[in-house]
Amino acid sequence: MVYVLGIDVGGTFTDAVAADLDGNLYSAKAPSTPPDFGQGVLDSIDALSASMGVSTAELLGQTSYIAHGTTSTLNALVTGAVATTGFITTKGHRDAIFIMNIEGRYAGKGAEEIQAVKRTRKPKALVPKRQVKEAVERIDLNGSVVVTLDEEALRADVRDLLEQGVTSIAVSLLWSFRNPSHEHRVREIIEEMAPEVFVVLSSDISPRIREYPRSVTTLLNAQVGPMLRDYLAPLQAELENRGLEGPLLIMQGSGGTIAAAEAPKVAITTIGSVLTGGVAGARKLGSQLGHENIISTDIGGTTFLVGMVVDGEPVMESSTVLDQYRISTPMAKVATIGSGGGAIASLDANNNLHVGPRSAGAKPGPACFGMGGEEPTVTDANLVLGILNPDYFLGGAKTLDVEKARAAIATHIGDPLGLSVEDAAAAIFEIQNAQTADLVRTEVVGAGFDPRDFMIYAFGGSGPIHCAAYGRDLRSQGILVPLGPTSSTFSAYGLANADVLVTAERSDPMALPADPARLTKHLQELEAEVREQLEAQGLTYKEIRTSREADVRYTAQIWEVPTPIPDGELTEESVRGIVDAFEDRYSTLYGSGTGFADAGVQAITYRVYGVGVLPYKPDLPQAAEAQSHSPEVKTHRRAMLDARAGWQQVAVYAYTALAAGHVLEGPAIIEAPSTTVVVPGGATATVDRLGNVVITYREEKNHGVPGSGL
Amino acid sequence: MAFPVPGSEVFTQRGLASREAVLAALPDSLELHQHDPSFDELDALTAEVVRHRLWATTERMGQALNRMSGSLVVTDCNDIGVVITNEIGDVVQVGPYSLSLATSIDLAIRWILEHRGPSGIRDGDMFLCNDPWIGGAIHQNDVAVIAPIFHDGKLFAWTASMAHQIDLGGASPGSWTPRAEDVFMESLPTPPVRIVRNFEIQDDVEDVYLRRSRMPKVVALDLRAKIGANRVGRERVLELVERYGADTVKATMARQLDDAEAKLRAKLALAPDGTWTASSFQEQSHTGDRNLHEVRCTLTKTGTEMHFDFTGTSPEAGMINCTYAGLHGALVAGIIMNLGHDIPWATGGMWRAITVTSEPGTLNNADFPAAVGKASVAASFCTINVVEECLSKMTDGSEGLHDHTTAKGCGTWDLCVLAGLDGAGQPFATMLTDAMGAGCGAGVDRDGTDSGGILSIPMGRMPDVEMMEFSAPILYLWRREETDTGGAGRYRGGVTASLAIIPHNTEVPMGQVVSGSGKAVSQNTGLAGGYPGNTQLDIAVREGELARVFAEGRIPAAVEEMGGTTEILSCEEETVLGPRDVHVMLWQGGGGYGDPVSRDPGLVVHDVAELRVSPQAAHDIYGVVLVDGELDEAGTTARREQIKNERREKAVAAR
Repeated sequence: MVYVLGIDVGGTFTDAVAADLDGNLYSAKAPSTPPDFGQGVLDSIDALSASMGVSTAELLGQTSYIAHGTTSTLNALVTGAVATTGFITTKGHRDAIFIMNIEGRYAGKGAEEIQAVKRTRKPKALVPKRQVKEAVERIDLNGSVVVTLDEEALRADVRDLLEQGVTSIAVSLLWSFRNPSHEHRVREIIEEMAPEVFVVLSSDISPRIREYPRSVTTLLNAQVGPMLRDYLAPLQAELENRGLEGPLLIMQGSGGTIAAAEAPKVAITTIGSVLTGGVAGARKLGSQLGHENIISTDIGGTTFLVGMVVDGEPVMESSTVLDQYRISTPMAKVATIGSGGGAIASLDANNNLHVGPRSAGAKPGPACFGMGGEEPTVTDANLVLGILNPDYFLGGAKTLDVEKARAAIATHIGDPLGLSVEDAAAAIFEIQNAQTADLVRTEVVGAGFDPRDFMIYAFGGSGPIHCAAYGRDLRSQGILVPLGPTSSTFSAYGLANADVLVTAERSDPMALPADPARLTKHLQELEAEVREQLEAQGLTYKEIRTSREADVRYTAQIWEVPTPIPDGELTEESVRGIVDAFEDRYSTLYGSGTGFADAGVQAITYRVYGVGVLPYKPDLPQAAEAQSHSPEVKTHRRAMLDARAGWQQVAVYAYTALAAGHVLEGPAIIEAPSTTVVVPGGATATVDRLGNVVITYREEKNHGVPGSGL
Repeated sequence: MAFPVPGSEVFTQRGLASREAVLAALPDSLELHQHDPSFDELDALTAEVVRHRLWATTERMGQALNRMSGSLVVTDCNDIGVVITNEIGDVVQVGPYSLSLATSIDLAIRWILEHRGPSGIRDGDMFLCNDPWIGGAIHQNDVAVIAPIFHDGKLFAWTASMAHQIDLGGASPGSWTPRAEDVFMESLPTPPVRIVRNFEIQDDVEDVYLRRSRMPKVVALDLRAKIGANRVGRERVLELVERYGADTVKATMARQLDDAEAKLRAKLALAPDGTWTASSFQEQSHTGDRNLHEVRCTLTKTGTEMHFDFTGTSPEAGMINCTYAGLHGALVAGIIMNLGHDIPWATGGMWRAITVTSEPGTLNNADFPAAVGKASVAASFCTINVVEECLSKMTDGSEGLHDHTTAKGCGTWDLCVLAGLDGAGQPFATMLTDAMGAGCGAGVDRDGTDSGGILSIPMGRMPDVEMMEFSAPILYLWRREETDTGGAGRYRGGVTASLAIIPHNTEVPMGQVVSGSGKAVSQNTGLAGGYPGNTQLDIAVREGELARVFAEGRIPAAVEEMGGTTEILSCEEETVLGPRDVHVMLWQGGGGYGDPVSRDPGLVVHDVAELRVSPQAAHDIYGVVLVDGELDEAGTTARREQIKNERREKAVAAR
């Protein structure tokens, strides 16, 4: 087997990357083909094989595996094209998924929406109430049966659901993670009555305390599982038909993959499938360059994605919010914010300037696209400021209309504020930079990290324009713009580098320090579970790694802190070590002195991550060495790269003329075919051995806050 | 009985002192950093960046407080407040948590400046306060930690973090008792004391604070959460000062206050001048009382100003009172909810367009030492109700503001505090915070949100049943939405929910406090012909036969299926929940908007299918006739005509 393929489906394009054993990388694009995205995947492989000069059958025949990021699950949920699903829960608790712990009224909403408190409302119900059935049964917090399952009543309910035409059934009973016997029995009965129905149990998919998110997770999985199955089965068959020998792997929101045949069972984990490619790419590139801590920032036309890599691993979160519903499934922590290059600048009634969150999107797009956009966007401001070259946008694929950009800014911002077009554009640029810095800081600091310990990677069309500003604001160690051979297909490159990742978790709330044997038993069983799951993928791994963590908190807190647990048999000493590790982590998050051990410490949920390391990882190839130290300046133009420095004569470089080892001083602009890199005054840009542009500041002042040693 | 207490006057505030008065009272040793009106270097760009960061700072403070706290009422209800103020306590930014709590902090900071200024307010100090006569607390369970921020030796700004504490002593668990005759039977109010000096917690002061509580460990954890939240606020504000300069940040704060005022006035200009009135009632002031107690409000809007007159409000009574701070916070909370969706939440600016008349010694302006332990959900909540209703009536008749009009949602809180020993013999005390799942009022173009919460805490939550069962030895028979609890209307009020719990894994009787108005009168009024939502209901089933019912393989869905005897609880009770008893609670739904017989019959059919409206109510109130769950159009037209005729007959008879 010679090749590894990564295929990333986007809203507009499907990107494909192939890597061979000699370190060669190939990439190609094909239009995405909604609603059947599978065709676009096949087309992108055809395009790839054509660009490599081989037939598709030859390529697939020599492919060891394909890693595929799919929007199938997310699309099914967003468009409501999901399976007709029944839901079975404990008697008396049908409404948990409708009550949504109230938080469903505002979860996942931005500050401005929450501020309009009387207009906040819950999303559409996941299922009508008639599709929810209450099983007469009850288990308590210790896992003891309080009321035995009424099987006769259950059969009648299942019959009614089948008559309503359900094709899948989700089962989430109270305390099932402590004792799954009733859920198991419910599944047996359904399988007896209707073997074709797709059944999901909460004790399988999310054995974690808190019935509301657990039930939502189970129900959504039952709704999308059949859809993912119906998407993947024909795609895999067709790929095999065209010669694919190796497995088709599906990217999960966790940043790891899972075999296509196994994916529908845990379909909900493939939400975020396409969001995590960038983080996976950053992680891989970081490992090649020796960067362990990375903030991955991807600014596209409409969205801005922020993820993190710490100690070489993506930062995970244990639950996420989708359409105001809370889902408990561990995922790479990727914040999606509607603030890309298309973000619209506007004034409120009191003439305060705002940038975003509204976006001009792909249509009508920024005013300068000349596609009917009237309102000024960040991209229009960047054009007015001389940062963008109207004749070299996307390598010249699109010509930008400076006059339209100026008119939009003058009409909507400059004139009402009495500012010149240039000053108004500068204001938009600076606000976008500051907001971006705030969003990144909220994510990084909120997760308990200090941005000063990180490299920032910036990609997507707009990332490299703003990254020097937010990188300085965050006082990061440096900023890297990946500009090697995969720059425009960085996420697909990330996919090609992903490992297989499975998780297993279960709740058993207990006070710490607890009996080491009880903890060890849970963890070893979870480890056995992840090994079993890894084996079920049907792959050969170079290595299998597992890691353990527990969600720990001070007694009665609701928010837990994921805390690492050492491998092997636990002892009283190592259990005390877990408490210490929790307290360390807690004071990092909230400041020293904020912990309070006297309240007691509890462990709630235990989790094991299993990584199946795939044998072959494509590295990025070395870039050509520079012949001279100083690169050639393509031209000069007046531009404003920093409001404090104002308008300056700026050197413009063509990326295609740069080579490894080149160093250039700001103020400068680097024009690459896929993006534009801003290097402000005071900053230095270096081309590294892989062709990436690395920006650092010549003098870094450390602003500490006096007297905060509380 | 509450007799006047000479010497207590110094702790009573009944209005926000002007800047001039504050400055006059300050010692020379305390230098303030003040906004210089001639400072003109503030550009739109910087103002926006700084404004954005102040909002982000309150968000971070709230998050820190919430994540560090140890009590469900904080972590799950978000009954907390975080604010940033300028140097004299004018609120520049309120976080989206308990609004009335946060917005009374200006009173407390004014008091600290006047009374702690002489003994010194220094960098590294933090003040703890839970004195409702001073502010920053509506009742004694609300504890604020208030921190001055200094720059260059000058007092630059303040941050404050507040949270409801589960127990701070007093006669009953949970710290409020229906037996209270005055504040001396309740938790001790503490005027601002320096809990932190030179950035260090003062252990002696902390001990004085914790010693009163039945749950000192949780209270200590929450204290650290509040200190931590203030620390986050301080660091972020000083970062802004460092980067943009103190004068610029201060000018942005001034602009934020001006903006809030200007935008509020611009809105008021859209409404016709006029007078609107509303009343909201508490029906029991203490154990055994059978009277109704009224909070009355008359809103007069003239030009771009509002005058709220509470004259006519009942005299203070029993333990349902609030102080002026409760009125002050409630008033501005009502304004934020009804008019604040696109106004900066800088209440310091809003106050410039508002005046208040209120008589001392009344229900929502109580004298010391009246009992005020229940204030936040008694007279203060009633004050929110009347302010909301007056504002809704005003906007309902204003073309430009009409869209943001709503009927009242749930207008009360159903308190249930349980305390006892769990199966392992360990003590516990818990408040059933599920009552947050009340219904919201209907709007002019949409139904109220079902079990959508009490909106004066915009980000309120309720805990998962499993978390409640993990925190206390109880088992839920149900927690469900209840049919017909939303007020009928052209747009329906949101339905509310109910629960039934039994003691589980413990044989020790639990002490129980049940407290909540709204059982005889409804505070969730409808608007424009809409019906009110339901009244509350608390039922105790004594000596139920759940063990037998469970053994027979059944789970009761109604009181009749539980065995035992049924007792309907009054508004204010201290009782015991025995090991075989059941406690059932039903909260208030939202009020409706507009005439129910004008509701789209298709929506009523859908409501019936989703169990929000019963077929009976569909027929009787909405005039919608269903046959096998489908709409009977002819029957509906006839029934609606019949309802209208009955109304005409009644009207004629009444004449």
